[in-house]
Amino acid sequence: MIQITPLEKKQQKKLVTIWSITFLTLFPILITLGLLMRLNQGEEINLKANTFYALMTLHGLGMAGVLFSIAFAALWYLISTRYARLRVGVGYFVYFLILIGVVALTIATLIGKFGPGWYLLYPLPFIGTSWKPWSTGLSIISIIILGIAWLIGMLHLLYALAKAYGGITHLLGWQYLGKKEVQQDLPPIVLISTISLVPGVMAFLAGAVMLILYLLQYFEPSLTFDPLLLKNLTFFFGHTLVNITLYCGVGWVYALLPEFTGREWKTNKVVVYSWNATFFFILFAYFHHLYMDFVQPMPLHYAGQIASYLSAIPATAITMFGVIAQLYHSKIKWSVIPLMFLLGTAGWAIGGFAAVVDSTIAINKVLHNTLWVPAHFHTYMLMGIVLFIFAFLFYISSENKGYSTDIKTKLGFWIFVIGAYGFLTMFYLGGLNSVPRRYSDYKGIPIQSTHQTGVLLSQIAVVFIIVLLAGLLLMYISLFSKLLKKEDTVEMPVQA
Amino acid sequence: MSILFVLLTLQVSAALISLAGTILVIAVVVFLMASSSSEEDKYTAKHKVYKVRGRYFFALVFCITVLLIVSLRLLPYPNSQMPPGNTVTVVGAQWSWKLAPGEFNKKVNEFTGKNEITLPVNANIKFVVTSVDVNHSMGIYNSKGDLMIQTQAMPQYKNELQFKFQQPGDYHILCLEYCGLVHANMAGIIHVQ
Repeated sequence: MIQITPLEKKQQKKLVTIWSITFLTLFPILITLGLLMRLNQGEEINLKANTFYALMTLHGLGMAGVLFSIAFAALWYLISTRYARLRVGVGYFVYFLILIGVVALTIATLIGKFGPGWYLLYPLPFIGTSWKPWSTGLSIISIIILGIAWLIGMLHLLYALAKAYGGITHLLGWQYLGKKEVQQDLPPIVLISTISLVPGVMAFLAGAVMLILYLLQYFEPSLTFDPLLLKNLTFFFGHTLVNITLYCGVGWVYALLPEFTGREWKTNKVVVYSWNATFFFILFAYFHHLYMDFVQPMPLHYAGQIASYLSAIPATAITMFGVIAQLYHSKIKWSVIPLMFLLGTAGWAIGGFAAVVDSTIAINKVLHNTLWVPAHFHTYMLMGIVLFIFAFLFYISSENKGYSTDIKTKLGFWIFVIGAYGFLTMFYLGGLNSVPRRYSDYKGIPIQSTHQTGVLLSQIAVVFIIVLLAGLLLMYISLFSKLLKKEDTVEMPVQA
Repeated sequence: MSILFVLLTLQVSAALISLAGTILVIAVVVFLMASSSSEEDKYTAKHKVYKVRGRYFFALVFCITVLLIVSLRLLPYPNSQMPPGNTVTVVGAQWSWKLAPGEFNKKVNEFTGKNEITLPVNANIKFVVTSVDVNHSMGIYNSKGDLMIQTQAMPQYKNELQFKFQQPGDYHILCLEYCGLVHANMAGIIHVQ
């Protein structure tokens, strides 16, 4: 633990509050884009295809970016106020760069109708496009700006942690594996941050190579590149970004849940082995995105399935059992914060289970690029990381104000959960009925049953999205009333 | 047994496995919430949980090993042991499918084919799949709307897919990789008789 001055803490709190308000503003807007997409697929509204795909691109890039940003900002706040000194100026620089990237990307998609999907799968941004040519260049540059911002932030955080804990091997916890007594405790959140951010840096560098190649082709169209190589770079970047977003959230579960249960959660040899193994699973699991590229070398297909399967071991046996050990017979008071941690972990498990099913090559051949894919990643995003994020937001908005368990917040939370799982179930059923993903509508499907199923499930999903938004509204009311409330005298968590 | 095999499609198997996993997770959540009302010394509670974890760990490693060994033998990739059969070239283009018998070895943009083809039932078919422009994915659906198999159609590469149609009827090809504005309308048909 570091000692920081009240002024430093206030500055970091202000930064994370700005991040939080930005997230809280953008999140429902991006959900609304998803709602419009499901309305169109349900044939309730009639969007032009280029508008649909522009919204789909903004929804995908926006959600991935916004969730990673707030996850990173939360990690930044917790680390800067407890474990290592971070420069608030760097934090603001990262924030404003990201803001520039987000504004430019919004212009490119909403005005320029840029619509190749979040993944800009090569060579789609350059061939048969339905969007303004300038929007391709603007989007590539915007994503480069976002990548630079995140890279600066991640490198600063890793540097500060390495300085505070004696180098990268110490951050990876290797001192726990030797026979010598450990001199300085390594908080699990620091270990998890390292395990998340080092692959994060590697993924962003891969993304940078990809985007520079895109930029070269944008300015010199006669240049072309290998589509399989770029597909690998794309999915390594995209998969890792989403994966580490979740792990950032898991980091603060380790840090904050013990404050509610009164049970410490420390790093030990098992935790170190577990998270070091996770490091490799993060790097190699992305190959499961390329199973249907039969020309990809066979060992990489095997690596994708094996890494995806093995990632279940540390996730469940260490982290999820760790959560169970925290809560079992703990006499905890269920304020909304530990409730969100528990349900968030459950969402991670449920989404992860469906992901492991899909990562089985023999099954992937009938689920790949059906609605099963958005089903599972929406599960661990919406019912995993989003719940972790809201737990964090309620936590910081309650700091020094007491942790309330008011009924309105809990009601909002449960409505949100019911809406979300209803919405997700329609995706799962769509996948099981072979309804394709990324279809602007289902009118062109010549198989009548698939068309009808796709439409019906979209219509039901719309109802659940509205339920979800109602729950979110109740949570917002509670959250903002806490943010605006003046600080009381310092009060410790319920369990203490 | 054969009825069970027919009913237990890959999609149904995926549904049952995921449902079982979800029920297990919900059960754990309910148990934790219910059991949290009582209090136990944290070391005793931890000891009990870690005892279960030890058993869980070995059970999980065993299950993963078995599932990997079984499932990695059921891959959809071309199998040299499969007897050669009819070859069909498939080219994806924004936004239509072109199919023709035989393997095409000239420039892909010179390929001419139709968006429908007739193939024999119970014969090994080798699809050689590529693209003239962007990534597409050839998803083959039966007339009930079940996705049977798929492979990507990628520019500059040829993916080979071996498949045997076991029932006569009309099978549809849908594009399963987002390929631009008319992606949702990119369909072809295979008549099997």
